[in-house]
Amino acid sequence: MPRFITVLAALVVAAPASLLAQGSTVAAERSAWTAWLASAPTSPYLAVAQQPIGPGITLGSDSADVPLDGVTLHRLTASGTVSLAGSTGRRALPRGRPVQLGRYVLVAGGPAGRAVVTAFDTSRARSTPAFYDIDPTVSFIGRLQPPDTASTTRLLAPDGVEVEASLAGTVAVPVGDSTVRLTVMRIPDPVSGEATLEIYFRDLTNGQGSYPAGRFVELIPQADGRYRLDFNRARNPFCAYSSAYACPVPWRGNALPVALEAGERYVPVK
Amino acid sequence: MTPLLLLAALAAPPDLVGPWRAALALEGGSLPFMMIMDTSGGELRGRLCNANSCDAFSAIMLQGDSVTFEMADYAAVIRATWSGDSLVGNYSNVGNRGPRVIPFHAARGSWAAAPTPAGLDGTWDAVFVSGGRTSPRVLVFQDANNGMQGTIVSSTGDYGVFSGHGTADSFALAHFDGSFVYLVTGSLDGDTLRGAFHAGLRTRTPFTAVRSTGKPHLREPTSLTQADTTAPFAFSFPEASGGLVSSSDPRFRDKVVLVDIFGTWCPTCHGAAPVLVQLWNDYHERGLEVVGLAYEVSGDTAIDGALVRRYREKFAIPFPLLLAGVNLVEETAATLPQLRGFTSYPTSVFIGRDGRVRRVYAGFHGPVTGAMHDRQVREYRNILERLLEE
Repeated sequence: MPRFITVLAALVVAAPASLLAQGSTVAAERSAWTAWLASAPTSPYLAVAQQPIGPGITLGSDSADVPLDGVTLHRLTASGTVSLAGSTGRRALPRGRPVQLGRYVLVAGGPAGRAVVTAFDTSRARSTPAFYDIDPTVSFIGRLQPPDTASTTRLLAPDGVEVEASLAGTVAVPVGDSTVRLTVMRIPDPVSGEATLEIYFRDLTNGQGSYPAGRFVELIPQADGRYRLDFNRARNPFCAYSSAYACPVPWRGNALPVALEAGERYVPVK
Repeated sequence: MTPLLLLAALAAPPDLVGPWRAALALEGGSLPFMMIMDTSGGELRGRLCNANSCDAFSAIMLQGDSVTFEMADYAAVIRATWSGDSLVGNYSNVGNRGPRVIPFHAARGSWAAAPTPAGLDGTWDAVFVSGGRTSPRVLVFQDANNGMQGTIVSSTGDYGVFSGHGTADSFALAHFDGSFVYLVTGSLDGDTLRGAFHAGLRTRTPFTAVRSTGKPHLREPTSLTQADTTAPFAFSFPEASGGLVSSSDPRFRDKVVLVDIFGTWCPTCHGAAPVLVQLWNDYHERGLEVVGLAYEVSGDTAIDGALVRRYREKFAIPFPLLLAGVNLVEETAATLPQLRGFTSYPTSVFIGRDGRVRRVYAGFHGPVTGAMHDRQVREYRNILERLLEE
C-alpha cells in the first residue's frame, strides 16, 4: 500500500508542474508574438494592401492599383516568378521574401498562377495585441480522427494568402457533458515546406471580446501520436490586425456553443 | 561587434565557459544538442553542435542573469536565464507567419555517449506518411565516437547529421542547427521499425521502416531532373567577387564542366563542397572546370556575396562561385530554362566537352550516409573519367 501512495503523490505533484510548464511556454509564445508585431517590418499591423497580382498590377502613384506614397510608378507581374519593374530597372520578388520599396516592404505569396502581394508601410502606427488570462482547463490532449476520404480544398491561411489545404480529420472537444467535433485542416507553408494542423473555429466570444470572424488554433503533436489542443494559443487571423488582409471565411461546422475566454482577444485597430 | 556587445562579452563571467548539454523540449520528445562556450582574446564565443558538426553563434549577449545566443543567419535566438549550472529559456525563430517558440534548457557537461544498438545499426527503407500521401526515405544508423548517429535520406539528399541515443529496440536522434529542428524517434515492433519524424514544434510525420534489402527504395537521383541537350548548356551570372562569368567564356571551351547548383544555407551542399573541391583537384589538369551557381536567401547582392565569399573560404574552393538568384525552386528553374523538373539543392549538372548536358544528379548523399555517399562519389568519378576521355 505505501508504494501506491507514493505513486499517487508523484502524480499529484507532476500534474501541476506540467501545467505550469505549459503556462510558461504559452506566456513565452505570447511575448515573442507581441515583440514580433511591435518590431517586424512585415508586422501585420503595418499591412496597407494585399492584392492578387493577376496579369499584372501597378504600384506607386495615386492612380495605381496599389497607391504607395512617395513611390514612383512600378509594375508587378507574375509569370512563374514575380517581378517588379520601375524606372530604375527590374528585380525579382521572391515569394515569402520581404523586398524594400521606399518606406514600404513588399512580400509576394500565393500559389503559382494566383500570386498575391502584401504591402507594408513601415511608418504606420502599430497597436498591441491582448490576450485572455491563461486557463489550464482549456488545454486538451486527444486523438485526431482521420477523415473517411481524403480531400483538398483551397482556403485562406491566417495571413490571408490562399493555400491548397488537405482535410486532416476531426478532434473532439469536451463541452459540458458532451463533445463537439472540430474540423482540422493541414495547411502548408509554401516557404518552409512544412505544414501545420490548424483549426479555424468560432465560439460565443466572437464579437464579444474575441475577433468576430473566428480564430485559429494549431494542434501540437505528442510523443504517443496524440495531439495537444490548447485554446490558450488561439490566435487572430491577420485581418484582425489590418483591414488590408483578406479574411478567411469561417469553416463550416466549426462552432463551439460556449464562450471560450482563452487565447487572443480582439483589439479593434484605430 | 558593437561596443555594447563587446562590453557584455568582456564582462562575461568565466564560468559560462565549457560544454553544456542542451535540449529543446518538443512535446513529441526532447531534442538534445550540445553548446560549447570558450573565450578567445577575452571574448566569449559559443558553438552549437550536433555530434561533431558545429556552427558558431553569431553573438552571445549577457545582461544580469539573462543570456541571449544569436543565430543571425537564421533570424533565430535562444534566450535563457542563467543560474549556476543551468540555463532555462526558449528558442525562437521568425518565419513568414510570425515567430515560433520552443522551450529550451541546458546543464553543464556532455550528453552520455551510448553505442548504436546492434538491432538498429544499418540502413532501413522507410515510408513517411503525411496527409494521406506516402513518400520513401532511407534511415541510416551508425556508431560514431560520440555515440549513436545517423541521418534521414530522401530521393534528393540527406537531412544532415543526427545524433542521440538508442536502447535495445528504440531510438531518438536529433538535428538542430539553429534553423532546422528535427527529431526522429522510433521503436522496433518485430521486424518493423515504427516511429515519427518531428519538424519543429508543430509538424509530425509518422513512418514505418524495414531493413534495406539492397533493392532501390528511393528514386534514382539521375531520374528527377532532365536537361535540354539540343543546345549547349547556357548560364551567365556575376561572380561573388565581381565580374560576369558565362558558359561561352574561353575557360569553358572544350572542357568538361561540372555545374554545382547550391546555396550557402543548404546543409547538404556543405556536405558536397569538399567532394567537388577534391574532384577539381584530381581532374582540373585533365580538363575539368567546376562552377558553383549560388541561390541565396536574400536576393541582395551585398548580403549574398558576403555569404558566398565565406563559403568559399570555409571550403577553400578554387573554382568560380556565381550569384545566380534566390533559393526558391521555381525561381531557380526560371534562371536555368534548359533544366526540366528542377527539384533540389544541390543539383550537379555534368557537361561534356561539346557543351551539352550528359547527366544531372539531383541532391547529394553526404558523408553521414556512408555507403550511399561512397557510391555517389564513385559515380561522379566514373562520369568525369568518361567525359574527359572524349
